[in-house]
Amino acid sequence: MEYRLRLAKRMLFNKKGSLIGAVLAVTIGILVIHVNFVIFQGLFDAIVRDISNYRNGDILVTDEADYIDKSDLSVVSWFERIPYVEAATPRLSSTAEMNMTKNGKLIEETRVPIVGIDPFRDIKASTVHETIADGSYVFSRNSIVLGSNVARDLGGAEVGDSVKVLVVDRFGQDEVRRFTVSGIAKSPGGQGFDYTAVIHIDTLRDMMSRHGETGSFMVKLNDPTKAFEVKEFFLRSFPNDDFLAETIEESAEEQLAGFRSGIAMINMIGYFGMMSSAFAIVTIQMMLVNGKTREIGVMRSIGAKRKDILIIFIFQGMIIGAIGAGVGTAAGLGYTFYAKETKMSFNNSLPLEVSYNWEKIIQTALTSFILAIIASLYPSYRATKLLPVEAMRTV
Amino acid sequence: MTKVYGEGENKVKALDDATLSVEQGEIALIVGSSGSGKSTLLNMIGLLDRPTSGKIYIDGIDTTTLDDNKISSFRNKKLGFIFQFSNLLTDLTVLENVLLPRQIAGTNNNAEKEARDLLKAVGLEDQMNKRANKISGGQAQRAAIARGLINKPSIVLADEPTGNLDSVTSNTIVQLMKSMAKKLNQTFVIVTHDRQHFGDVDKVITIKDGKAFSGDMPSEMEVLAK
Ligand SMILES: Nc1ncnc2c1ncn2[C@@H]1O[C@H](COP(=O)(O)OP(=O)(O)O)[C@@H](O)[C@H]1O
Ligand SMILES: [Mg+2]
Repeated sequence: MEYRLRLAKRMLFNKKGSLIGAVLAVTIGILVIHVNFVIFQGLFDAIVRDISNYRNGDILVTDEADYIDKSDLSVVSWFERIPYVEAATPRLSSTAEMNMTKNGKLIEETRVPIVGIDPFRDIKASTVHETIADGSYVFSRNSIVLGSNVARDLGGAEVGDSVKVLVVDRFGQDEVRRFTVSGIAKSPGGQGFDYTAVIHIDTLRDMMSRHGETGSFMVKLNDPTKAFEVKEFFLRSFPNDDFLAETIEESAEEQLAGFRSGIAMINMIGYFGMMSSAFAIVTIQMMLVNGKTREIGVMRSIGAKRKDILIIFIFQGMIIGAIGAGVGTAAGLGYTFYAKETKMSFNNSLPLEVSYNWEKIIQTALTSFILAIIASLYPSYRATKLLPVEAMRTV
Repeated sequence: MTKVYGEGENKVKALDDATLSVEQGEIALIVGSSGSGKSTLLNMIGLLDRPTSGKIYIDGIDTTTLDDNKISSFRNKKLGFIFQFSNLLTDLTVLENVLLPRQIAGTNNNAEKEARDLLKAVGLEDQMNKRANKISGGQAQRAAIARGLINKPSIVLADEPTGNLDSVTSNTIVQLMKSMAKKLNQTFVIVTHDRQHFGDVDKVITIKDGKAFSGDMPSEMEVLAK
């Protein structure tokens, strides 16, 4: 083995405490970044996942101005011809006033978001139906699903209760219908329809006097990476219909922008952690250099050049960095694996979307490896400043 | 050569125009009382430090003009060192310590065999693979002698090589150096307090107040030196 590498290794491994301390510093720096990633990126991705699954699909098609008047059947079947598309479904939204008599008391709720869905297509393109905690999804023209919060605000609406819904139509006329509660929706994390009421799309079209019109199409892909391609193809195929099509990244951007900068902040904290582990390495290596003053003098006496001494201690930085990066990455992957296997959730509700971001994992490991080397530069430089006469020291 | 340490008030003239020469194959002893400038002289000859003024020629080369890298290289190839304390790198084995000057020189061919032979010659064949901090003081000095000889240097320099050893061990180390010098026609420059252990040698230089004198110390000084 190269004598400088051997010396670097021996010096480190014969000082177990220093080695463990330095490696631990790197390990912890990396682990913090991994844990942050699992939790905060996992949370972010979970929210993206839920927005996509419940509301926006992988592609969301709307009209540039107001409502889409093209027949929903033609749009849906156009999409479903494409191999990447799993399903597409029309939706229509409005705001409603609701009231209900419970135990002889009339309770009113205003400004409740209401969504019209196609019961047969929706369950293929969205997972909202899976959030029905009680009862079943909308199945008929007069059934309604209440979000758990809506149900609570209405004085504890239950499956089988009857609610009155008022929607203002396109001409400004109040349209009132009576519905029977078929189910209560409650999603973990609250990204679902917890604050919304869901009815049959044709009923809502009727009430809004918008026959044949659609608010949006939710398109679910079996290969989400093809979203941009499918979107572009769609827009090219319908150049004259004033369609607006957005991928999930685009349609959720506004909701996610704040979160994104929060993640950037947290990543920054992680990198500060890495920086402090670099300072730990500087301190530990300075101690090693100081403890080897005479031996460095001996090496210089028998002919080692400044450069050789520099290389020995930079090798130490590399060894610390390599072991630290290895152990830290292994620990981080272990934590990620654990989080994924146990379906770790945020606040015991929203299941995190845990993923292995190999690019980031490798980048983190490399960064800390390089940081360890940079950290070793100063102690190494200091070691080169020791003079050969140090070998003659009598104390 | 002259060597002045410190500045102003704290100025110490450790060597004061000291002049000496040592021939190839000689054993030269440097003696003198404590603080007289023996170690300083050895540091200058060993190119571990530079004189304030004066010149040092080794193998006819004026070493005072060499830069740090050249001096390192020169120390590596032309000089061998035996110090009083902690000669060896404790992270390495005895054999690895002896090999080190060769590895620094980058001329590894046949090095291991030569190192083993040298270790055998100094009586350490059983200790070769021990870590350097697991052997006795006398054994460490034997290893240092072997290390000092591995690159076949022009001069082996030793600063009180027996200063840290008991009398019996001191004597064996002195005899070992003398026999190696004879066997290899190796030049030795040795600073010592153990003048009498060495007996008959080629040259003795006495240092007094930084000045070099040829020959043994006057006997009344020897008493002072103890
Ligand atoms: N690095 C130094 N800085 C200042 N003074 C020194 C230094 N090294 C030696 N001296 C002084 O130089 C003189 C000679 O020291 P030294 O060569 O070590 O003597 P010796 O080895 O004969 O005992 C002493 O007075 C000592 O205090
Ligand atoms: Mg001395």
